[in-house]
Amino acid sequence: MKHSMVSSTRDKLFVTFAAMTLAVMAVVSLFVGKYPLTVQGIVSGDPMQQNVFLTLRLSRTVLGVVGGFCLGIAGFVYQTVFRNPLASPDIIGVASGASAGAAAGILFLSGTLWITAASFVGALAAVLAALALASVDKTGRSSSIVLSGIAVHALAQTVLMALKLTADPEKELSSIEYWIMGSLNGVRPDALWGNFLLCLLCAAALFLLHRQILLLSAREDEAKMLGAHVPRLRLLVLLTATLMVACVISLTGLVSFVGLLAPHGARLLTGRNHRKTMLLSGLLGSSLLCGADILARSVAQTELPVSIFTSLLGAPFLIWLLVRRARSRSV
Amino acid sequence: MKKLLALFLALLMLLSMAACGKEETGRPLEEVMQEMTETIGETEETAPDYIYYPTSVTDQAGRTVQIQSQPQRLVSGYYISTSALIALGQQDKLVGIEAKADKRPIYSLAAPELIELPNVGTAKEFDLEGCIALEPDLVILPMKLKDAAQTMEELGIPVILVNPESRELLDEMLQIFGKALKCQNMVDALTVQMAAIANDVQTAVAEQEPVKVYLAGNSDFLSTAGAGMYQSDLIALAGGENVAAGIEDNYWVEVSYEQVLAWDPACIILASDASYTVEDVLADPALANCTAVKNGNVHQLPSAAESWDSPVPGGVLGAMWMANVLHPEQVDNWTAKKAVRDFYEAFYGFQYPG
Repeated sequence: MKHSMVSSTRDKLFVTFAAMTLAVMAVVSLFVGKYPLTVQGIVSGDPMQQNVFLTLRLSRTVLGVVGGFCLGIAGFVYQTVFRNPLASPDIIGVASGASAGAAAGILFLSGTLWITAASFVGALAAVLAALALASVDKTGRSSSIVLSGIAVHALAQTVLMALKLTADPEKELSSIEYWIMGSLNGVRPDALWGNFLLCLLCAAALFLLHRQILLLSAREDEAKMLGAHVPRLRLLVLLTATLMVACVISLTGLVSFVGLLAPHGARLLTGRNHRKTMLLSGLLGSSLLCGADILARSVAQTELPVSIFTSLLGAPFLIWLLVRRARSRSV
Repeated sequence: MKKLLALFLALLMLLSMAACGKEETGRPLEEVMQEMTETIGETEETAPDYIYYPTSVTDQAGRTVQIQSQPQRLVSGYYISTSALIALGQQDKLVGIEAKADKRPIYSLAAPELIELPNVGTAKEFDLEGCIALEPDLVILPMKLKDAAQTMEELGIPVILVNPESRELLDEMLQIFGKALKCQNMVDALTVQMAAIANDVQTAVAEQEPVKVYLAGNSDFLSTAGAGMYQSDLIALAGGENVAAGIEDNYWVEVSYEQVLAWDPACIILASDASYTVEDVLADPALANCTAVKNGNVHQLPSAAESWDSPVPGGVLGAMWMANVLHPEQVDNWTAKKAVRDFYEAFYGFQYPG
C-alpha cells in the first residue's frame, strides 16, 4: 500500500515534469524558425510578424504537440492491447495505407488539402480492410488482427510501389518520397482544424476507455471472465486509436519512432501500465515530435524530414532508459 | 608548256565529270538526297566518310568512344539530347527515343514522327534489351545510365554518356555530337545563336539592379533551386538574384513558408512543369504578405514548346523570357517573342505557338 502511494506520487512527478518539458518545447517551437519573430513585433501589431506567427508558427507548433500526443497514446494502446512491445499502428497497415493514399493524391489530385484527404482515406481503408479480414476469424484471437494487418500492409505497399513506378521522377516521385519521410513543414492552418477535432474526440474516448484497454491486456479468458466482450471491445479501441493516427499522419506524413518510443519511455519511467502511463506516453510523444521539429527546421538552411530527428533523439533516450532499468534491477 | 598543262587539266576535268555523272545516275535518289541534305551547312567538311571515320570522341563521363562509321541508327534516351539532335537536323537518323515523348510538345511541333518511335524507357527504368533490339550504331544516354552504357559497350554498341547540367556542359555536349555525327557546322550555327541570345540578355540587363526571385519547383511550391542548379544560373543571367542562392545544393531543396517570407522575393517564378498554378500561389493565405504576391508578380516559365528551365538548347530563351519579366524596360515583349520565334523556326522548323 505504502509502495503504491510512493510510486503514485512519483508518477505524478513524472507527468508534471513531462508536461513542463513539453511547455518549454512548445514555447521554443513558437520562436524558432526562418522568419525572424520578436515578441515586441507581434504585440505591437506588425502585420507580417503576426501573420507568420498565427498562420505558420502556431499551426506548426500545435501540430507538433497534438500530433505527438496522439501518436504516443496510440502506441500505448497498441502495445497494451496486443501485449507486444513492438506493436504500433503500423502493424495493421495504417502507415502504408496512408502512404499509398498520399501517393495517389500526389499523382491524381493536386493541392495539399486533397493529398491530406487522400492519405486519410487510404489509412482508413487499410484499417477497415484489416479489421474486416480479422473478423472472418470467429475465434477473435488478437493474432488474426496482426496477420490480416500484415496482408493489408503488403497490399498497400504493392499499390504504393505501382504508383511510384508511374510517377514522374522529377515531380511526383520526389514529392512521394518526401511525404513518406514526414515533415511538419508546409502545413496549412485551414487543413488542420477538422483533423484536430477528430483527434481530440478520439483521445478523449481512449482516456474514458482506459480501464477497458487495460482489461484487454489481460489474458483473453481472464478478460472474458471479468465481463468484457473482448473482440468487439478490441475492435472499438483499435479503430479509435487508428483513426487518430490517420488524422495525424495524413497531415505530417510518416513519423517514425514516436509511437514506439513514447509508450516504452512512459512504462520504463513508471514501471506500470495505467492511465497516468498513457498520459505520460502522450506527453513524451509530444515533446519528442516538437523537439524533432525544432531541429528539422533549424539545423540546416533547408527543411529536413522530421523522422531523422525523432529517431536521433528517441533512440539514445530509449537506450538510457534500458540501461537505467538494468542497473536498478541488478542493485 | 602552258598549253600542254591547260589541255591536260581540261582532259582531267572532263574525265572526272564523266565519272561523276556515271556515279550519280547509278545511285538511288534517296541516297543522293541524303547526301545533299548532309552537305547543306557542311561546306567545310568535305572530307568523305571513309577519311573522317573511324573517329573517337571523349564523352561527358570521360570515356573514349570509338565510332567506326557515320552513325545511321541513333537512339537517344534523354529528352535533352533528343531535342539537341532535332536542332542539329539529325532527327531522321533516330530509331528510338526516351519514354513519354508524347508528353513533350517539342516533338509534336518539330518532329511528330519521333513520337511513333519505339521508346527505350527512362533513366529510372531503362529498357536495355529494347534498346539493343533496335540495332543502333550509336546510343546517347544520360550520365545516370552508366551501367547500361557499360553493358552495351561490351556488346559492341558505342554509347555516348551526356550530362548537360549547365550551359557550359550543354555546349560541351553539342561539340561532342558535332564530332561524332559529323555535323560541326550545325553545331557552330546553334551554339553561336545560343551565345548571341545569352549575350543580348546579358547586355540588356547589365546596368540593372538585380530583382529578388524565388523559383518554385515542379513538385511543390516549397521546393526551390539551390545555387548549384541550372535554374539559378538562368536567373542570374536574366538580371535576377536567386533568393535561395545561399543554399549550395545542386538539386531541388525543401524550404518553409517562413523562409520564403523572410527572403521576401519581389518576383516568384514557377518552374515550367509545376504541378500547381500561378492562381494557387496568389490565393495561398500563407503568402498573402509576400511582396511578389501583393504586387501580383507571380509568373510561370512557359512550356508551350519545351521546359525552358532545363538545359535544352532552347533553354537560353528562358533567360530571355525571364529578363522580359524582370526588366521589361530593358527587354521588351516584342524582342523576347521575336528571339523565340526566330530560334525555333531556324533550328526546329516550326512556328512557335503564342
